[in-house]
Amino acid sequence: MTLARDDLAVASTAKPARWSFDAKALIAAPGLIFMGLAFAVPVLMLIGDSFVDRDGLSLAGYRKVLGDPYYIGIIGNSLQLACITTAVCLAVGYPAAWALARIRGVWQVILFALIFLPLTVSIVVKTFGLTIMMRRDGIINFLLVNLGFIERPMRLVFTEFSLYFGMVNVFLPFMILPLYSVMRMLDPRLLDASASLGAGPVHTFLRVTLPLTMPGVIAGGTLVFSISVAAYVTPGLLVGDRFMTMSQVMAKAYLNIRDFQLGASMAVIMLVISAALILASSYLVRTPGGERR
Amino acid sequence: MSQQATALPPEAEAQHEPGYLAVSNVTKRFGAATVLDSLSLSVGRAEFVSLLGPSGCGKTTLLRLIAGLLAPDQGAIEVGGRDLTRVAAHRRNIGVVFQNYALFPHLTVAENIAYGLRAKGVPKAEQAKKVADALGLVRMEAFADRAVTALSGGQQQRIAVARAVVVEPSLLLLDEPFSALDRKLRETMQIELRHILRDLGITSIFVTHDQDEALVMSDRIAVMNEGRIEHLGTPSEVYARPKSLYTMEFVGQSSRIGGVVTGGRDGLVEIDTPFGLIRAPGHFLSGSKVVVGVRPEAIAAGEGPAGEYNTVRGTVAEVIYFGSRTLLHFRTAQDDDRLHVELNRLPDTVSPGVEMTVRWRVDDSRVFPAPAGDDR
Ligand SMILES: Nc1ncnc2c1ncn2[C@@H]1O[C@H](COP(=O)(O)OP(=O)(O)O)[C@@H](O)[C@H]1O
Ligand SMILES: [Mg+2]
Repeated sequence: MTLARDDLAVASTAKPARWSFDAKALIAAPGLIFMGLAFAVPVLMLIGDSFVDRDGLSLAGYRKVLGDPYYIGIIGNSLQLACITTAVCLAVGYPAAWALARIRGVWQVILFALIFLPLTVSIVVKTFGLTIMMRRDGIINFLLVNLGFIERPMRLVFTEFSLYFGMVNVFLPFMILPLYSVMRMLDPRLLDASASLGAGPVHTFLRVTLPLTMPGVIAGGTLVFSISVAAYVTPGLLVGDRFMTMSQVMAKAYLNIRDFQLGASMAVIMLVISAALILASSYLVRTPGGERR
Repeated sequence: MSQQATALPPEAEAQHEPGYLAVSNVTKRFGAATVLDSLSLSVGRAEFVSLLGPSGCGKTTLLRLIAGLLAPDQGAIEVGGRDLTRVAAHRRNIGVVFQNYALFPHLTVAENIAYGLRAKGVPKAEQAKKVADALGLVRMEAFADRAVTALSGGQQQRIAVARAVVVEPSLLLLDEPFSALDRKLRETMQIELRHILRDLGITSIFVTHDQDEALVMSDRIAVMNEGRIEHLGTPSEVYARPKSLYTMEFVGQSSRIGGVVTGGRDGLVEIDTPFGLIRAPGHFLSGSKVVVGVRPEAIAAGEGPAGEYNTVRGTVAEVIYFGSRTLLHFRTAQDDDRLHVELNRLPDTVSPGVEMTVRWRVDDSRVFPAPAGDDR
């Protein structure tokens, strides 16, 4: 059944000859040159750094990072941080994006502002703001105590709760935006059609809404995961050294202990994780049927 | 069009158990705008009823209310004696063919058709058989495994019909299903769809703004205007004995002659018009402002015997040639008045500017009160 569809997809994507020169590509030249200088060159240097120590070529950096339970634990921390942040952003962002795509008029403007204005505030400012809110004498403890949920103010800053709260706060818009742009394109009559064929709301969600919005889920998930796995400022300010992440190890390796090979090896591992994820997600989005369960 | 309008044999018409679908005093408002105004409609089992009206008159809104995709502000909707007013759309078993077809783009043709069967928990083997039957019904067997996005408009249309009928709905609603098709294909599909639905015996409500389509396909036509039904009747009733000026003018071509009633007797009124004295069946007080409507094909060239016929003289303003027939437009002082005459064979002498005498039977004249704001 999927065969015919694959054939179709191949037929439509494989049409232009692969390597024939297209002058339109020149328009991308300034951007490509800039990215080449500002991104590719440093990355290549970094990769180079990861394979040398004082005595020349060596794998000592990778051996240290991948062989030491301490560093493995840190990689685990980063992956856990990224996974939970992504999952919570998806759970909170999906309905928000849906509302944004369906609401009209003033409410849409208000919702837009609420979700995207925070993007204009620097992460440092936002995160500091959060720490103030979460202090023992901050507004959150004040409310919890006065509403009778807890007897005494409790510690919020420097807990994992504050970490995830802060991460979701910072990265939620990056989940909502790609979801919103996919949901806006979803023809609401498809949902009417589903209902008229006897499908209840759950069936409609699983068989129509979710498959058709899956490209947005994948795009938002990839984006949030790959930036939160590299998060530095938010974990640093909200939990500090109690919850070390890969970015913090890199910063320490370069700035404090000046072990460039260690920092570069950690950086390359993070790069590999993100690159693998991005490749996998673009494969998922492109494969016909990939958007299906 | 008239040959096809009689497509249903008379005995079949009698079989329609009346009141199968009962829409009672349904009102729907969007904000301050009343889109449907205490509308009632009764459709018999296995009947094919068209909702005919201009864009924006509330046809889609009425369909959505019946399907349960919108809730009425007032009124009730019943199918087969069951009150559905508060029942969710997915529990109504009412099929819908949407204006843009609304096929699921991520599913193949066969998966689209199987969608409703699957939602209702029909066993896999039975699903496959029903899907195959439905594909056969719309003659699309070869397309089962295609992506729906790769189909032409006419093919998508067939799949939308197959998807809707395969679950054996108690009622099928079709919202301008042919509006995106070109004329030739549209005419083929009209006849084909009519045959399919009659064979299946599905009660259908068909929305269109195209009067020819409504006349060709329907058992009955509901002419809609601004959220109300102006006339519900068979195609020939609606065409030949329209209940309102609106229906007369919306369905088919018509002449329109304004005038004032000068007297009447024996069920006939005499009307003073720019074309002279005209007689027509009806009861109006002397002095009433009225509009006389006549179908162009009811008018013939030359004088007729007084008493049975209205005979008038006028100047031909325009001659429009249609091949099998010719339409003549007559001019008067009033801009709004028009006399359209349809002739099968054109006398050699007729050309614009020529004076001509025409006649029509008194019985073929329809009189309506002049619309408010019509100052004559
Ligand atoms: N969801 C809605 N909100 C506000 N107005 C609507 C809505 N749906 C339809 N309308 C209005 O109701 C009127 C009838 O619409 P509709 O039923 O779609 O007409 P039709 O199908 O006969 O063209 C139109 O004036 C339209 O603008
Ligand atoms: Mg409509």
